[in-house]
Order: sequence, then C-alpha cells, then structure tokens
Amino acid sequence: MNTIPGKIFHIITEDNISLVKVKAGDIIFTSIVLDTPGTSPYLSNGNSVSVNFKETEVIIAKTWPLEISVQNRVQCVIKNITHGKILCQVDLVAGEFNIQSVITNNACQQLNLNAGDKVVALIKTNEVSLSYND
Amino acid sequence: MIKFKAHKKLSSSTGPSQLDVAFELEQGKLLTIYGSSGAGKTTILRIIAGLTRAESGYVEANNEAWFNSAKNINLPAAKRSVGLVFQDFALFPNLTIRENLEFALQKGDDKKLLDELLELMELQQLQHMKPGILSGGQKQRVALARAIVRKPAILLLDEPLSALDDAMRYKLQDMIIKVHRNYKLTTILVSHHLPEIYRLSDEVICLEKGLIQKQGKPSVVFTEQKISGKFKVTGEIIEIIPADIVFIVSVLCANEIIKVVATASEVKELRTGQKVMVASKAFNPVIIKLGDS
Repeated sequence: MNTIPGKIFHIITEDNISLVKVKAGDIIFTSIVLDTPGTSPYLSNGNSVSVNFKETEVIIAKTWPLEISVQNRVQCVIKNITHGKILCQVDLVAGEFNIQSVITNNACQQLNLNAGDKVVALIKTNEVSLSYND
Repeated sequence: MIKFKAHKKLSSSTGPSQLDVAFELEQGKLLTIYGSSGAGKTTILRIIAGLTRAESGYVEANNEAWFNSAKNINLPAAKRSVGLVFQDFALFPNLTIRENLEFALQKGDDKKLLDELLELMELQQLQHMKPGILSGGQKQRVALARAIVRKPAILLLDEPLSALDDAMRYKLQDMIIKVHRNYKLTTILVSHHLPEIYRLSDEVICLEKGLIQKQGKPSVVFTEQKISGKFKVTGEIIEIIPADIVFIVSVLCANEIIKVVATASEVKELRTGQKVMVASKAFNPVIIKLGDS
C-alpha cells in the first residue's frame, strides 16, 4: 500500500459522503469517504492524515492527460522498474515521496517505460482511503 | 466471575510505583495482561494465587472471597482453586509425567480428567517417562496439564510460551485454546507476544507502571491506526505464496478465505498465523444477489 502523509485542507460533505482534499508537500490528493465531520472527528481542516492507495490501482500516463475523469494526478519520475513475467513494479518518485505502481508488462512495453522517464501517476478518487492516529 | 481490586507498592528497576488495578472477568473468558517489565503483571497473578498480599483490595472467584482486606479475609494459597504455569516448567524430575500430574491431584479427585488431559495434550506416549528427556514444548504441555488437572477456578499463565520457538509456541497456543474451551476455564495470561495475544484473548489489559492504560478486545486495543475504509474484516493469515512479482496472501476470516494481493515489501512484515485487518473502500466491492429472494 502506498502511504503518504499530509494535512486535510478542504472538506465537502453531502448526506453521508465527504470529498476530502489533502495536501502532501506540493501534491494535492482527493479522497471520497463514507464519513462526515459530524460522525468522524478526524475529518477536520488542518488534521494530519495519511493518504493510502494500493499499488495495483496506480495508473501510469506518459503525457499529462487533459481530458480524463481521474482526479489524482501526480507528476513523477521513474526510479526503477522490476519486471516479472506478467507484472512489473514501477518505483516512482514525486518530490519527497515514493509511489509504487504495479502494472502489466504489456502496458509497460506499450508505453516504453524506462528509468528516468517523466510520467504521471493517476489514482481514482474512490481508490484513496485516509488513515489517522488517535 | 472473577473480581479483582488491589492496591500495592511495587518496586522495580525503574523505581517504586503503585499497583492500582481493578477488573472483572466473566467465567470462560481469557484475559491477557500486557505491559513492560515492572508494570505489575506478575504481581497481579501472585495476588490472585495468594503468593503475595495486597495492601488493600479484594479477590473474589465465583462468589467466594479469597482475599478481602476490609473483611480481613485471606485464604492461604493452597486453599485457592488456581492452576499456575510459569515460563520454567517446575516439574518434579524424579517423577514420571503421569506421576507429576497425579501429584497435583488430591485424595478423592477424579482421575478421568487426568487421562483425558494426557490424550488432549498428546502426552500418552510419554506418560511413563521422566521430564528430563522431554523437549521444552513437551515439558510445558505437562505443566499445563498439571495446572488444569484439578479444574481450577482460575488458570494463571505467566509468559508460559516465551522460552519456546515459534512452531512450538503456535502448537502450544492451540493446546491452550483447546483446553480453555473444553474445560470452560477462566484464564489470565501474561504475554508480550502480540500475535499470541490476538489469537488467545477475549480481552486485554495494558498495564503501565501499575495502572491500566487501556482495556478491551485486542483488535481495538492494539489497532492504533484507524482507516476510513468501510470494508474491513479481521482474520488470520493462513498462506503467503509468490505470484510473479507480487504475493497472494490468504486470510481466514470467520469461515471464508479471502485472498489479497500484496507487494514484496508488504509481505516482509507478514507471516502465517498473524492476525491482520483486510480493508477496502466501500466503493470497490460488488454485490451479487444469491438465490431467488
């Protein structure tokens, strides 16, 4: 699981759903959760949380995708690629943070991904969960 | 029901402190006391067993007062129905396994349980041997059987498995679970080992410098980090197998096996037998109707 520490800076709540924006360094993450500030006190501006998402949910794009519904777009540099037979693990660096992505080898070849490439990591809003300490 | 309340001065390497603890434990439950050394864990067991006297408080087991400072009651250790197992096995070296168990019985006690326990603890083949030739795990099984043979009102286990290797530890945990359920024992365990605490305990008390810091189910007490995911289950890892560059972790949750893909770095911190939480977001699972409802 990718875990990135940040601070909540924006919350929109409707019924039992909240859209939460978290700032981690220069990166802004958006998460959608079934919690509200009323039921879950961790949802408060300025609170420290971790943004979590699974490696297999990180999409990689080579160019900045202008028209796409995915909200979390992180500019990264590929540090390393580990190839298996079917899958590969792409280690990415985004500023002070490391992000891992697991994609298929086919996808990696089609995009001709190599260490040192500048790419964009894409994560859907509903794949991002938040964790917090008491 | 066990009712316990005690106040006593503690002296440890970190300096003097006060034990000030009260709790109740329902019959048939297993409570673990967790905490650093000098916190007063063993002192609690000793007060229950009658080996140490509290300055004030009470110990009550199934409505029988064993100790009550206000009423000046203090039953001697031998009159308290307690089974004790420590890290060192304290078996009689000159008696056979069977004789060690028989020694714990009193005149008129039923020997049926003794044979049952020898079978349950897989000691039948060894019963006529002396403890000297047994392995650590076997000796601890004998010590456990001996502690249970009189069906004590409370079974007290003071780090009974900490000298054993992981495989033996796991097996002994199984045995403890088995006897605890079979004989509906009420058990208090002192342990440092988190996976063990998760496996065995209904409830945990975290003790620090003589005071209860936290109390509750292990999953609540030890899960500091909260995650917003709404699809959460806890279970035990039963298998970790490699799959290309990732791993498939099988987790037994209730009676279902869940499979989770994990990366190599995640798997480094996981092992078979470990209690884990599997979490996902409420957005991911799909719902499929079963039958014609």
